[in-house]
Amino acid sequence: SLVFIKTTQSKLFLNQLISLLFMLYMVAACKAVPISDLLDRASQRSDRLHSLSTMLTRELDSHFPPIGRMIMPRPAMCHTSSLQTPNDKEQALQVSESDLLSLARSLLRAWVDPLLVLSSSANTLPHPAQNSISNKIQELQEHSKNLGDGLNILSGKMGPAAQTMSLLPYRGGNDLGQDKISKLINFQFLLSCFRRDSHKIDSFLKVLRCRAAKMQPEMC
Amino acid sequence: MMKKFREVILLLLLLSFVPHAEGTRYSLPGKPALTRCRSPEKETFTCWWEPGSDGGLPTTYALYYRKENSETVYECPDYHTAGKNSCFFNKNDTSIWVNYNITVVASNALGSTFSDPVDIDVVYIGEGDVEGEVVLLLIIQPDVKPNPPEKVAVTVMEDKGWPFLRVSWEPPHKADTRSGWITLIYELRVKLEGENEWEMHLAGQQKMFNIFSLRSGGRYLVQVRCKPDHGFWSEWSSASHIKVPDYFHRERSVWILITVFFAFIFLIVSWCIHINSHSLKHCILPPVPGPKIRGFDKQLLKNGKSEDIFSALVVSDFPPTSSSNYEDLLVEYLEVYIPEEQELILEESKDLHDGCLKPKGSTFDSDSGRGSCDSHTLLMDKCGEAKDDGRQTDQDGSQTGSEAQRQQAAWEQEALTYAHEDMISPDMSSGRVKTWPSVFSPLPQYSLSPLSQPSSLETAKQHCLSDSLFPPSSLSSYLTQPGQSTKEALRSSCSDFCSSNKQPLLLHPQPDARHQLQARSDVSISSISHKEAPAGLQLPTVRSTEYVEVHTVNEEDMVLLHPVPVGHSHGKGCLQTHQGEDYSKVNGVDKNNVLLLQREVMEEQVDMCPCENKDANGATESYCTSSAQKSIPCIHTALPVQEEKAVNGYVDTATMFPLPIH
Repeated sequence: SLVFIKTTQSKLFLNQLISLLFMLYMVAACKAVPISDLLDRASQRSDRLHSLSTMLTRELDSHFPPIGRMIMPRPAMCHTSSLQTPNDKEQALQVSESDLLSLARSLLRAWVDPLLVLSSSANTLPHPAQNSISNKIQELQEHSKNLGDGLNILSGKMGPAAQTMSLLPYRGGNDLGQDKISKLINFQFLLSCFRRDSHKIDSFLKVLRCRAAKMQPEMC
Repeated sequence: MMKKFREVILLLLLLSFVPHAEGTRYSLPGKPALTRCRSPEKETFTCWWEPGSDGGLPTTYALYYRKENSETVYECPDYHTAGKNSCFFNKNDTSIWVNYNITVVASNALGSTFSDPVDIDVVYIGEGDVEGEVVLLLIIQPDVKPNPPEKVAVTVMEDKGWPFLRVSWEPPHKADTRSGWITLIYELRVKLEGENEWEMHLAGQQKMFNIFSLRSGGRYLVQVRCKPDHGFWSEWSSASHIKVPDYFHRERSVWILITVFFAFIFLIVSWCIHINSHSLKHCILPPVPGPKIRGFDKQLLKNGKSEDIFSALVVSDFPPTSSSNYEDLLVEYLEVYIPEEQELILEESKDLHDGCLKPKGSTFDSDSGRGSCDSHTLLMDKCGEAKDDGRQTDQDGSQTGSEAQRQQAAWEQEALTYAHEDMISPDMSSGRVKTWPSVFSPLPQYSLSPLSQPSSLETAKQHCLSDSLFPPSSLSSYLTQPGQSTKEALRSSCSDFCSSNKQPLLLHPQPDARHQLQARSDVSISSISHKEAPAGLQLPTVRSTEYVEVHTVNEEDMVLLHPVPVGHSHGKGCLQTHQGEDYSKVNGVDKNNVLLLQREVMEEQVDMCPCENKDANGATESYCTSSAQKSIPCIHTALPVQEEKAVNGYVDTATMFPLPIH
């Protein structure tokens, strides 16, 4: 019986060892996911994000009061306009990768709160396509969150410079407006700001993707 | 400042023109409008406008723009690159993620007209929402519509003998996809020359694509286009022509191989079927069983004459007598024939010696009504059995014969002697297989010297034969001992008769038998001699029945028979309802040494009479008249009783009383 016990104990120990090794291997394998793949996934998410925002603005624009267009706030009024971003291709290509990532993360982080406001306002939006708009807002939030998590992982791999973020607080408040027109106008304005910022994020990530995929030119 | 100066000049011009032009009316130019703006690579963009009415005067157009965060008004740097009524912004003038406020001004001598300002953002330049005249702020989506892909190259390549098209291209040279500034996805379409339907393929971001499933010898057209990730599709590139080489011969060889293979399989299958055609036929179309009637001639049936067929049926074997195969009808029987003159003919038909042919049990037909003729099989058994049995048989037979004879004791004394001698002689030949020795009806004049064994047997045979062959009247001839010649003449016929038929033991006890026998014998000899070859078997006609009873058994174990007057002393009320002949046979010997006789009537129905057993020193005669139509029960002596069925109602005492063997 002693021998039997010993054998069972050794078996248990062996099993534990095997499982531990397996876990280590998995961790190592997970860490070994190349940055290019991570960037590829991130850029896909950002692409989806921008497509959604474009669709939203068009949908909202279909039944937009004409006077609203007149009194639309200027895009310089977006709460993220203070962030210095490259304005053309040459400037963008000169930005370092960690800066690009930092910019993308900062912008994305800046939209967490406004998206909440948007989603809450979408439920009572005086618009015929309110239901579809509301659903898209929901999707926007999900994709935004996923992208944020992914970019956090990426920044961890890309060095401390990538970890820095700029804070861009939203000061618009929880309420978009009292009357129908102002609601719609503010809704549309926020969405237009988000559309621009999502395009920036998408562009930066795709530039990063091309830079990281030196061995895979088909990515670019 | 500049604006106002221009306006003043225009007004002055207009005023100057007014007094001179009475007939013509000039006015300010109509209001122009921006129609669209486009950026092919997100680095430059172009805007187009639509001019209004010119007002009859030469009109000039100008585009002014202002950027998002500054108040500086800039004029379009390039009016010509993109054609008429366009403004091209180069890289230096293009800023992305910046709103442009663009205005177009139409001016003539009288004045100028301003268009509505338009806000555009180059980044997401899409289709221009140019609708409605009264739009102060218009968000134009200039379309990022790239140029079509360039250097589209199509080549034919082979993959394991099957050709395919490899299409490769390059992005438009202006689009900077390498840095990732613009991401393009591609799409191509293929069609055969002369067809209308295109086959679309989405290629994603790759710049190369393979097309399979080509028709051999076909000419194909290929086109490619591209689209930025958030833009619009470009125009299709110019079509590239390609011709696929012929490879049908390869297909043809495959078909030839398949054809040969199937032909081979077909040959094998047909050969197998041919080999097994018979069994297959048997399986699929089982043969219809034909009629199985003895004597039925199929050929006759095929010939189609029903009369012949049925006549053939009638003629031959049924009821089978002795013509066909005597061997089938080996029967042991004891015949006692008494003609009308009360001759007693005792015959023992069967000469076992000659009649002991090989048993043909297979051909034995129990349906003929002679099923009780188990003596047939007995005969066979006897053939193979020991002499003792034969001897016993002989003894019994002799007893039987003696019995018959005793009935006519008076005149049969000699006959019995003869019979005895006869019997003895077979005894002497007991070594051979035989049935009962033929018992001849005794004739006084017959002082039979011990006949040679065969001769006595033959005689017996003759008796057998003649019993059936000849009419009863002539049977009396048997009583006479024919001369040797006649004997031999009879021998053959009798042998035939014996072999084929079971003859009943004829018992025709007649008081006057002796005399008549004598009388007849002379007469019959001749008749016998003439009738050597019986045409066919004839059953003995029915004669008056006379009964014999066993009188005594002398010390030589001879059964002496007495004729019994008709109508009485049957004891059990045997009825004689006919005048037919009785062919009694010794059925057997009981264990108490009872000699069992069977008498039956041919061709007539007779009531069953119980058998009568008489004890006479161990030898009794039991005879029954059995209502037998045609059946002739056989008498077995000293043999194990055969289980022959009593057909047609006659009593087969053989089964009833097993014979003892002593």
